Amino acid sequence: MRAIAFVKSILDPEAPPGAIRFDAGKALGDVPQVLGPYEGNALELAVQIAEASQGEFRAVALGGPEQEAGLRKALALGAAQAMRVDVPSGFHDPLDTARQLKAAADALGGADVYLFGRQAGDWDQGVTAGLFAGLAGLPLVPLVQAAEVAGAGLKVRREIAGGYEEGEIAVPCVLSASNGPGTLLRLPKVKDVMLANRKPIELRAGAQSGAGFRVSDLKASVTSRAGRRIEGDLKAQAEGLAQELRRAIPGIGGGA
Amino acid sequence: MMRVGALVRGDDQSALEVLSLARALGGDAAETYLILAAPAAQHAAAGAARAVVLEGIADADPAQLLAAAQALIGAAPPDVLLIPDGPLFEAVGAQLAGSIDRPAARDVGSVAIEDGRLQIVKGAFGGKAEVTLDAGEGAVLGVRQGAHQADELPQAAPQVLEFAQPAPLLSGRRAVRDASGEDLGRAKVIVSGGRGLGSAEAYRSLREVANLLGGALGASRAAVDEGWASPSQQVGITGQKVAPEVYLAIGISGASQHLSGMSGSKVVIAVNRDDKAPIFAAADVGVVADWQALWPELRRALAGG
Ligand SMILES: Cc1cc2nc3c(=O)[nH]c(=O)nc-3n(C[C@H](O)[C@H](O)[C@H](O)COP(=O)(O)OP(=O)(O)OC[C@H]3O[C@@H](n4cnc5c(N)ncnc54)[C@H](O)[C@@H]3O)c2cc1C
Repeated sequence: MRAIAFVKSILDPEAPPGAIRFDAGKALGDVPQVLGPYEGNALELAVQIAEASQGEFRAVALGGPEQEAGLRKALALGAAQAMRVDVPSGFHDPLDTARQLKAAADALGGADVYLFGRQAGDWDQGVTAGLFAGLAGLPLVPLVQAAEVAGAGLKVRREIAGGYEEGEIAVPCVLSASNGPGTLLRLPKVKDVMLANRKPIELRAGAQSGAGFRVSDLKASVTSRAGRRIEGDLKAQAEGLAQELRRAIPGIGGGA
Repeated sequence: MMRVGALVRGDDQSALEVLSLARALGGDAAETYLILAAPAAQHAAAGAARAVVLEGIADADPAQLLAAAQALIGAAPPDVLLIPDGPLFEAVGAQLAGSIDRPAARDVGSVAIEDGRLQIVKGAFGGKAEVTLDAGEGAVLGVRQGAHQADELPQAAPQVLEFAQPAPLLSGRRAVRDASGEDLGRAKVIVSGGRGLGSAEAYRSLREVANLLGGALGASRAAVDEGWASPSQQVGITGQKVAPEVYLAIGISGASQHLSGMSGSKVVIAVNRDDKAPIFAAADVGVVADWQALWPELRRALAGG
């Protein structure tokens, strides 16, 4: 099977509050660029599907040079090819993104399985996989937690309310990956990371449509609570906490 | 004049909010598309309602919902289509948008039409920011639950369309209920654990806390990734959005993506050994302590009354 994983890199989502500033429609800060965690889940599925079917996978990202983080990771995990659709960094209209990713995938010869993360941690759009499937006229399996090759298709497990659902799907199809038992991204070997740094990343000129969504304002949201600390040694902290819990939850720990 | 439509399934609170928003934006001309579960139940139908009835959609099958949505909106979709953000948008929103060549957005708080252009406000950067987008002349929008009021809606019998229900998305499908059985949505008390617990065994100690407090057990994404908790226990922007009376966060750093899911809680209590952990800025009460050391003392203190 042939798979394509779309691997978006984002400013480290675990950066402490205040490390990312929002100014003139842009997110700025001295924060490392990392592969998005759900895109990491998609990449893991691509590796598994390629391995199990003795096929191959490719990696595609859209954006500026900051997108190298995820593409290099994909190369280190065995991607046959990495391609960056070159557009300016920052916000990009979601429909246009899906269109350009589709054009890039077609230029790579298409695939049996197209893998996206369920949501990237920068603009939190969570719509690219669906838009891509809609444009391509392919079935979309949302929130995939595990997938394995089954005959000519895939057996997938996807999140549903209160649990999960399993079943089979024919290819070609689009999967949006979530975190679950079968999608935790493996670590590449140090040697492969070094080799990946020397591999080329193909550039594909992005089209600038100018249509669609545009950012007209971006500002930090402020939510904070007036936190009070329970001080003292462990015993005093435990008693203070127990008291606080009793106050907040009537009827607990009523003294045995 | 922009054509405004709402696509809803059933008549829960989020459906009523979206129907109300569609009417506020599009007036009497707002179009309503209803997906009903058989047997067709009571529903609020605002404006010119079209409906299809799906048999046995307890698990909200994406392929069946998409086909129903496409049959409902037909060849002339409205410019703006509003859908409650949640399972329905997850299953069909963006794919429907792609199939009619429209952009899409979700987690949309406010929606306005100014000079014939759509203006939307949505969350970004895991809740660290809010972005206002000029969304042009049309889009499919997932409307955040609770962001709009549900108004009294005029009742009208919908026009029920003939609909050939396709096969479900997955063949040989089997639905499995989560073994943890936690009902975070309804719980008054939630005890959530994160990576800081360090082991599956330490995470299990929270079960005892939850039992003592009569609460349910939640988790951060990191605890799910470690395999200590199941995905349906995840609280956050891509997990459950919860608003209990008491939320107790143990060994959770307080990443904005986690906070987005629990900031509506009435009282937030955090235990973390790092006094600079961001969770403390989002908590009413904080305890700087190592959980492993605190737990035996807390158990004693709770039992001692
Ligand atoms: C698009 C996107 C969506 C996301 N969605 C979610 C989501 O829905 N939910 C979610 O939770 N995350 C989500 N995340 C991930 C999020 O960014 C964080 O990675 C995650 O919340 C971290 O989990 P944690 O706090 O358990 O782990 P960590 O950040 O590693 O924190 C562990 C904490 O435990 C403390 N600690 C360590 N040892 C002890 C001890 N012995 N006693 C007490 N405290 C201790 C540490 O000081 C630390 O603060 C998302 C990320 C992205 C990009």
